Amino acid sequence: MTQGTLDLQGVGKRYSVSGASFTALQGIDLSIPAGEFLSIVGASGCGKSTLLRLIVGLERQHDGAILLDGRALDGPGLDRAIVFQEHRLFPWLTAAENVALGLLTSKRSAADKRRLVRDHLDLVGLSAFADAYPSQLSGGMAQRVAIARALVNRPRILLLDEPFGALDALTRTHLQGELQRIVRAEGITAILVTHDVEEALFLGDRVVVMHPRPGRIASIIPAARLPLGADGAHDRADPTFVRLREEVLAQLAPADAAPRAASLAA
Amino acid sequence: MTNLDLGRAAFHSAVARDPSAAVGPRRWPPRLAAVAERLRGGVTAAAAVPLAFPTLLLGLWILSARLGWLPAQILPDPALVAATVAEFVETGDLWFHTGVSLLRVIEGFALGAALGLGLGVAMGLSDRARWIIEPSFTAIAQVPPLGWIPLLMLLVGIDEALKVLIIAKAALIPVALNTHKGIRNVPAAWREVGAALTFGPWLTLTRIVLPASVPTVFTGIRNGLTNAWLALVAVELLASSEGLGYLMVWGRQLFQLDLVILAMIVVGLVGFALDWSLGRVERRLQRWELAGS
Repeated sequence: MTQGTLDLQGVGKRYSVSGASFTALQGIDLSIPAGEFLSIVGASGCGKSTLLRLIVGLERQHDGAILLDGRALDGPGLDRAIVFQEHRLFPWLTAAENVALGLLTSKRSAADKRRLVRDHLDLVGLSAFADAYPSQLSGGMAQRVAIARALVNRPRILLLDEPFGALDALTRTHLQGELQRIVRAEGITAILVTHDVEEALFLGDRVVVMHPRPGRIASIIPAARLPLGADGAHDRADPTFVRLREEVLAQLAPADAAPRAASLAA
Repeated sequence: MTNLDLGRAAFHSAVARDPSAAVGPRRWPPRLAAVAERLRGGVTAAAAVPLAFPTLLLGLWILSARLGWLPAQILPDPALVAATVAEFVETGDLWFHTGVSLLRVIEGFALGAALGLGLGVAMGLSDRARWIIEPSFTAIAQVPPLGWIPLLMLLVGIDEALKVLIIAKAALIPVALNTHKGIRNVPAAWREVGAALTFGPWLTLTRIVLPASVPTVFTGIRNGLTNAWLALVAVELLASSEGLGYLMVWGRQLFQLDLVILAMIVVGLVGFALDWSLGRVERRLQRWELAGS
């Protein structure tokens, strides 16, 4: 399966804020092979969410090139799907109807669509809640419905913009495991943006560390450095994992934070 | 009307039902607690609380008529009003006048609400439309329905067209304003979901923007209906020979206050019934909101 390869070549993004030009992203070069789970971690304002918005096509103006399977992207498409930090389900639709909304512009047959909705609610473990309204679901359940809505078109690329940022720690850990299982089951390319270093290291095959002002890639942690546990998942308790986490956290600390901390200690 | 008044009224009506409750002032506090308990616990008692105010009002009215607080020409005896109601029901006059008014409200409201929805959607969706419409709209909205009557009288005469137009104008303003606001306030985050799912303008409008603005639009529609009733009475007071507003004028001129009160009661009841029906429709459209609570 070669579909789902994403190439970013010299991608940059400038905004004009009340007349002044502001560079949100600069010189992003990344090649993401099909089926990879890539994590992007960085402090707020490093442009990581902007990068996802460019890939999904919510913003079209940018420098450089974004290629999906060798073809330049132009606006949103059903080959890419995004999950936001808030679930963004529509309160007037049931869980199943919200998932089905993802298929509205698809050309599949009605029977096909019904089957896809059922399968994806099943995939996220919410078949029993197909007819529940979002207000009747917990935050974690709502986010799982949002994941089902994103996957229902069988996209090539799944983009995740801090998908668990609004959830409590327990639910978050649980859903991270769920997400890993789901993405593997679908065999798609996934890009996760987060400011949670542990989450980035746990889920990512590779981890991109970004720095702000202007948003750029600081370093990339290759798959070889991330220890795999017996179950094929990254082991959070492994000493290598812990060391790597400290290393990334140190990279993310603002440049002027270290001297200030030193003077506080003195 | 404050909650305190309501509570007091409820208490009085409860006392009236249970004579032993009023044995002596010293025995009231435990009794009060018992009454409050009954009001809180019993379904029938709870349902009676909203009726406390009308009951109190009726009580005061009967009392004042019996004790002659006000001359009968000014505040007629409830029995007289009841007799007038019975007579109007018997002759069919009540249905005639109510029917005439109701038809005017329905025609005017339908016209105004439809135009208001159209204008509101246009202003909500298009900056250009808003730029063109909003200034004139705001200016027109500032002139109350009554202010339009003299000019419209010269333009369209004093027949049905005048009444329907005045009512339409009264209904149009809140419907347009709330529709505009409802559409403007649809979160950008929701539109983005549609954009990411490759929705075009039509799907975005029908699947996201319109459903999301239903609650606000409905507030406008209910306000519009209330306004339509207010305008109806105003326009019928000034230029009409039938309808509930006309009954009021006629009754006042003949110093038959029982007629005025009859018309007031009917206007109140019909208005309440219409608002209640709209509320039912609204709850039906928004059952998802109730599902969570």
